[in-house]
Amino acid sequence: MAKGVALGYISLLVLIPLAALLTNAFNHGLGAFWSAATGTESLDALRLTVTCSLLAAIFNAVAGTATAFVLVRDNFWGKAMLNTIIDLPFALPTVVAGVTFYTLYGPLSPFHVNITGSWVGITVAIMFVTLPFSVRSVQPVLESLSLDAEAAASTLGASPFHVFRTITLPAILPALLTGTGLAFARALGEYGSVVFISNNLPYRSEVASSYVYSLVSSGQVSSAASVAFVLLSCALVVLIASNVIARRLARRRG
Amino acid sequence: MKRPSLALRCLVLLYVAALLGVPLVFVFQQAFSHGWAALWAALHDHAMDEAILLTAKVVVLAVPLNVFFGIGASLWIVRHPSRISHVLDVLIDIPLAISPIVVGLILELAYAQNGWFGSTFSKLGWKVMFSLPGIVVASIFVSLPLVSRQVIPLLREIGDHQEQTAATLGAKPTRIFFTITLRSIAWACAYGVTLTLARVIGEYGAVLIVSGNIAMLTQTLTLNIGANFENFNGYQGFVGALLLALVSVLVLVVIGVARHRLERKRHDSFA
Amino acid sequence: MTVSLDGVSKSFGHLLVLDDITDVFAEGEMTALLGPSGSGKSTLLRIIAGLTPLDSGRVLLSGRDVTKAPARDRHIGFCFQDYAPFRHLSVFGNIAYGLKVQRIPRAQRKAQVDELLGLVRLEEFADRYPHQLSGGQRQRMALARALAIKPDVLLLDEPFGALDAQVRGELRSWVRSLQRELGITTILVTHDQSEAMEIADRLVILNDGKIEQAGKPSFVYDHPATDFVAGFLGPITTLWGIDYRPHELELALDGDEGEKGTVTEVVRLGFEVRVVLTNQTSESTWVQLTHDQAKALNPVVGQKFVVRPRAQNLVHNDATSREARPID
Repeated sequence: MAKGVALGYISLLVLIPLAALLTNAFNHGLGAFWSAATGTESLDALRLTVTCSLLAAIFNAVAGTATAFVLVRDNFWGKAMLNTIIDLPFALPTVVAGVTFYTLYGPLSPFHVNITGSWVGITVAIMFVTLPFSVRSVQPVLESLSLDAEAAASTLGASPFHVFRTITLPAILPALLTGTGLAFARALGEYGSVVFISNNLPYRSEVASSYVYSLVSSGQVSSAASVAFVLLSCALVVLIASNVIARRLARRRG
Repeated sequence: MKRPSLALRCLVLLYVAALLGVPLVFVFQQAFSHGWAALWAALHDHAMDEAILLTAKVVVLAVPLNVFFGIGASLWIVRHPSRISHVLDVLIDIPLAISPIVVGLILELAYAQNGWFGSTFSKLGWKVMFSLPGIVVASIFVSLPLVSRQVIPLLREIGDHQEQTAATLGAKPTRIFFTITLRSIAWACAYGVTLTLARVIGEYGAVLIVSGNIAMLTQTLTLNIGANFENFNGYQGFVGALLLALVSVLVLVVIGVARHRLERKRHDSFA
Repeated sequence: MTVSLDGVSKSFGHLLVLDDITDVFAEGEMTALLGPSGSGKSTLLRIIAGLTPLDSGRVLLSGRDVTKAPARDRHIGFCFQDYAPFRHLSVFGNIAYGLKVQRIPRAQRKAQVDELLGLVRLEEFADRYPHQLSGGQRQRMALARALAIKPDVLLLDEPFGALDAQVRGELRSWVRSLQRELGITTILVTHDQSEAMEIADRLVILNDGKIEQAGKPSFVYDHPATDFVAGFLGPITTLWGIDYRPHELELALDGDEGEKGTVTEVVRLGFEVRVVLTNQTSESTWVQLTHDQAKALNPVVGQKFVVRPRAQNLVHNDATSREARPID
């Protein structure tokens, strides 16, 4: 009985709507799907989305690892505060981040920096949204990592960078990859934080989710479903691939 | 690399401050920029108050449903694994991979007037899209895995020996659930509930599509902020943003405490 | 209360873990289920408690069929190897749990818990939480919690497995005397043969889901029914193609009756001395000597001795001793 309710809940919420997406994306045939998904505006939007998401994910993989390092190995006044604020992107509504970034770095910027309508603004907004993913995936692994191996490597004369590259990095790599994959997948679909700063100029600064929204608003539901299908597939492929590679890396380490 | 250098610490602090700290502070600065009186007046904006009320209704409906489902599904997946529960385990995480805009789109495809169930629902007199139920469904969708993601690993870690011991002591399943299981996963639940709450309050893209975004009727607080901003009423938008920022600070505190408690619990656990 | 098992079988997937087990655990007796890991002994314990459903067969408590009864209706105390302390409850709360379930009034409940705290010597730790206790204290708490409901049967799964050697020894004899005092039918699972021999009135030796042999520890030790039992209960050495316990052999001076051999190894282990003798055809036999015996002979590597049985050798395949108890 309880199990039936759970299955009904997830079917109504997830399965049936996903099935509706599939049929709507393909109900005018493969040709219609293909032309909707690979139209110039769609391709430009997808390319921009993937580029900015990848840039932000890679940048945050580095910055997130550094942050995790400082959180685990360093000690200073305010560290607890730093640890708390890392989760801000999970707690602060994306639309608040969106309007704030637009006001901070838009035409009326108090710093006289205008990054609206360009890939820079989009990337910054995505960096905001995805920072906790990499930090929170690396942090627990670093905490459980014994310092012995690193100490042993140092006594053998390895430089700190060499120790990091040969000892620490391989240990945190699987978790880092999973976290980066999660961040990347999340970034691909990001809307609220990006939509204001991007200005949504078709072919120039329109991300995929914005494009889907504009198609929905103008009633082109099948085309919207086609682009949405591509977007969703990209995110799923990224998630599955990062998980598979991470697992393989972890297994190789034994 | 036993202890990071001072330079790295400063770089990290600078990065986090610029990326996360500055926007948060900026919201407060903007909301207070016109003085207390203006803030007081803006807080009584009729459309915003209606939006707050709607968001509150959505929270009251969506959060308990998802908490209930999240705990139940976690128990099923961990304590009574079967082929179907494995499928559930995979399905439950799918919302994390879907863009909020796509969530809105697929709910519309399934439940709008011209969608799969639209005609059936309208015959029954149910209006799902462009009304409260649609917003609730979208909120539930985007926050679906947040409780179970916290609870499932903890349930696995604790194992079922405490529950079984309670059974040998004569306790019935309901009693075991409330006196043993729920007590052991309380902090993970608190963590998940808080994340769910934050996500439901903060959802924008999915709600934008399914609600129709009609001021005073189907506009949640996040939609109201977006609308104010697009209508060149940025100040009013930032007053709304201030309220959400205050909520998010509260959320951060609860999340921080919950994580600390969970870590301590893990630390206290014994072989 | 007696516990009877009638043709109990259980498989997990294709793996048969218990194969047609029939046995009776007598009133007030302490039985050790002994066997290597994977022999099915823990599964059998869980089946008796009602924590694992069985595929076929019956479980009877003093004749009452409880095969279908859930764990909560069986009135059986169960202690897990990890003690499964309720982490969010104090020691007092842990022990009181079963009494609360029985809706025993607060004052009476407190009196009973206090008595149990005294019984397991944890009076001073009533307000502590499980993570503030040592392993042995946690074990005693789990025992008190199980005893609180005055169970008809007590089941202990590897009760001393997670403790260090000294605490284990103390707790073992304490549990033994407590069980005698309460006279409660007790079944404990262990893979440690010396522990089983020390603590139990009766051994049931399991291997591959079957009962290899059941009986009094000393009898089973002296009269193992199968090679498996002989090898599992203690060391075995071979002389003239027959298995002996190493202490059942003796060394004598060269020229006496017995198998001639050369000492190839002498190992001192406290008061026990192991001497390995190798004969002309390179067959080795080892003999266990007490310190005094070794002193008298003073065996040195390279020296020649004869080895011979001290007493009667092991009786194998003694059908009468092998039988598990049938159900009346």
